[in-house]
Amino acid sequence: MSLINDIEVKDLEEAVGRLSVNGASYGEVRFHRNKILSITIMNGVVLGIGRETREGYGIRSIVSGGLGFASTNNLSKEGLNEALNRSLSAARAASKGISRKIEMAPARLGRASYSVTPKRSFEDEPIDVKISRLREAYKSLELSKNSFKVTSVNIVYRESIEEKVIVTSDGALIESRIPRISVFYNISAQYEGKRANRWFQVGGSGGLEVLEENKLDKLMAEDIESLYINLVKAKSPPKGVMDVVLSPEIVGLAVHESSGHPSEADRIMGREAAQAGLSYRTFYKGTRIGSRYVTVVDDPTIPGSYGFYLYDDEGVAARARYLYRNGELGELLHNRETASVYGTESNGAARAMDYRSEPIVRMANTYFMPGDYTFEELIEDIKEGVYIKKYMEWNIDDIRWGQRYVGLEAYIIRNGELKEPVRDVALEVTTREFYTSIDAVGKDLRFYAGTCGKGEPAQGVPVWFGGPHVRLRRVRFI
Amino acid sequence: MVWRSSRKVEEGEIHMSEFEEIVEKARSVVEPLVDEYIILANVKSEAMIKLAHGEISVVQSWKDLNLNMYIAKSERIGIYTINVKRLEDDIKKAVSDLEKVEKSPFYAPLPKPSGSSSEEVDPKIKEAVESGDLSFVIEDLELKDVGDAAGMISLSLSNEYLLSSSGARYTSSITKFNGYIRVFKGNSSGQWSWTSTKYNISAAKNAIGMAKELAEECSKLPRTRFEPGTYRVLLGPMIVGNLMEEVASAASAGMVVFGMSFFTGRKPGDTVASENLTLKDVPLNRELPGFRTYDQEGVGTKDKHIIEKGVFRGFLHNSKTAKLLGGETTGNAGWIMPQAFNLEIGKGDLKNDEIFEALRNGYFLTNNWYTRFQNYLEGTFSTVTRDAAFKVEGGKPVACVERVRIADSLPRILKSVEGLTKERWPIEWWEVTIPTLTPYMLLSEVRLTVPQ
Repeated sequence: MSLINDIEVKDLEEAVGRLSVNGASYGEVRFHRNKILSITIMNGVVLGIGRETREGYGIRSIVSGGLGFASTNNLSKEGLNEALNRSLSAARAASKGISRKIEMAPARLGRASYSVTPKRSFEDEPIDVKISRLREAYKSLELSKNSFKVTSVNIVYRESIEEKVIVTSDGALIESRIPRISVFYNISAQYEGKRANRWFQVGGSGGLEVLEENKLDKLMAEDIESLYINLVKAKSPPKGVMDVVLSPEIVGLAVHESSGHPSEADRIMGREAAQAGLSYRTFYKGTRIGSRYVTVVDDPTIPGSYGFYLYDDEGVAARARYLYRNGELGELLHNRETASVYGTESNGAARAMDYRSEPIVRMANTYFMPGDYTFEELIEDIKEGVYIKKYMEWNIDDIRWGQRYVGLEAYIIRNGELKEPVRDVALEVTTREFYTSIDAVGKDLRFYAGTCGKGEPAQGVPVWFGGPHVRLRRVRFI
Repeated sequence: MVWRSSRKVEEGEIHMSEFEEIVEKARSVVEPLVDEYIILANVKSEAMIKLAHGEISVVQSWKDLNLNMYIAKSERIGIYTINVKRLEDDIKKAVSDLEKVEKSPFYAPLPKPSGSSSEEVDPKIKEAVESGDLSFVIEDLELKDVGDAAGMISLSLSNEYLLSSSGARYTSSITKFNGYIRVFKGNSSGQWSWTSTKYNISAAKNAIGMAKELAEECSKLPRTRFEPGTYRVLLGPMIVGNLMEEVASAASAGMVVFGMSFFTGRKPGDTVASENLTLKDVPLNRELPGFRTYDQEGVGTKDKHIIEKGVFRGFLHNSKTAKLLGGETTGNAGWIMPQAFNLEIGKGDLKNDEIFEALRNGYFLTNNWYTRFQNYLEGTFSTVTRDAAFKVEGGKPVACVERVRIADSLPRILKSVEGLTKERWPIEWWEVTIPTLTPYMLLSEVRLTVPQ
């Protein structure tokens, strides 16, 4: 009995057998379905509804050391056979002239079936009730305060069910079903000729409870307050060398960008060099990247997380990966191809966005390990510094070294207390400066949802990133 | 149908008459249930070679049939991807969704169709995609001589059929050959891209040559420390393409509706840029893969200015944004968001061998990524350069700098365009998703930063 009742596992097993019979040293067939409902609300009114089901087979083969991938959304046996042939042809073409033959490292392959069981399934609520919830969240907002006005609030609600059956020629058989909810919103506001906006995403795996737990009305109200502070209250930011306290929102983003991405083994070995780039870990001499307070973990197995999975898309059991541990560089994120190159085992980081995507090395839920400071303790001995609570702009260079975060909501810290707000404060640091400057870590771990992009064609996969408040000593503001 | 061909039908392949039958069946199901519909069916075949360290890392092949549908009933609207196997059920479910929602402020009656069918197919690309044999591409590009290079080479054939309740019935068939190469030389690298509807091997070889030349030139120069400040800057076509795509996005009326455009409040006739800058949406340029003769609402496309000699000429509209904001559709539908299809930046009079002299003192930046806005409404943003970046003194490159960040505002940058080259390059890659024909761009003032 298959978890996904319209797919026969034996059809996939036969297909993998055909790959082997036709010369593939490795074969993998994945049925992958993403079923999505989206509702777009503009200023409290439904703009439109969308439904989409992307489903098909993604097939990989290795022939003579060349890797081929083919996909089809023709689910008939003929469609599958045609795609198998294309995968084999692609692998043969890829084997021409290569000096490094691609191999799959041995791994803890699973034969398992799992699903996330929602507390409240999507079917428990008709679409009009879901719309009412979103509309009520909008209606609860205070949209003006004297000359300050919110000019638009746009909300995109998205519920999805991802179903997969993965069979490999060396014995993996994984069936999975993961429902998720995410909500994106953008709020625009103006005040006396100045304008600003805040874009934000929440998300998790599970059912309708994800929306209830995230309290959209409260989040949007807080963001309107942030825009009010930015446009009405905030002054010019300070410049020079200062202490800074960063919120979980910024710490989470920073560890995703400057710990998770540079620890992707495919990036380090150059497979993504022309796309997402390389990694400073390709060139870095030494083993230490930060202070002893720095530990960063990527863990796909966190219940309820947006990046949740128990087996990756090569059938390898997932586990927590320590990317930085007490300031030392830790393990890399691997799929079976990169593990083979590095002479190690895959740690279950292969993910594909949909049936049209090859599994590549990805993060899942990346976070800075919390410490034991309260927020008050973090700021109490700062004479002159900055607290950055929320950001809008960020980016990082293609080796994940020089990074920048610009605060939407930020405050001066003076003599251990939060003082006046400052507008658009820009923190621009190197990865080493960021992590070595940390001398205290809060105990308040929070996660944020995002869609991480990588690959060619680009694949966006759901992730969480998070952390506690952290304190950095003597960093430069420009 | 222009794409109804006599090509061999292989096991599991999508037969064109079958494609028509699916669209017709969808029409027969949806027509009695809704007030308006647009059915957009697409069969796409694509093959891609990905390179790392000068060797193939993977060959990928896709073949898909997609059936998308816009429906409207009592001014409620929905957009659906219909599963061919469950066509009736999917359509009935879509219609039942609409019965539970209110009238959409976005609704507008479908415009009168005014497009036409089109075909821009290079037989060589079509044959390669259908056979899956790409070996000739590697040989033609002479990649074995490039050295340490990474990149992507893609060939595709897309057949589309649009059918609407307003009477539109159009087909298009288009091929595409695009890619990009990043060449490494010591600690230096150069990257360039190309895009075409034809198997334009000279454009591809030019791009590879440019990437190689940039890497080599930078590798010969010393590295120098960079001081943040405001500088004269020469941008290469890869960066110009990225920034002008952001400008075109801000000119989409949908971005105004969603509160994410720095053109909000602007009117046609407003001066928004230096008189040296002209930016056009050119869907009728047959050389660029965004070529199309009808938009997603069946309206005929036309080439149009977004900015003409510094003057804003108007927003890109579909029928919905036109109704909401006032105006006429410009033939740029997207069912929700209006969009540019191909972009062209007007050429200037600088010759290629004059660009360093024109820059005189400043920085020549060749590639970027990770463009993010601090404030969409004011256009403040930053983006990080990658690959070769030159310090230029006295009209000559004297050193290279690493991973400098442009941290400025697009409205300011638009006003500081001082010069453009005569020669233009067809660019499309990760950070330039709309095919763009672009020159080099000389800017009088750009704020640059780097972590200190």
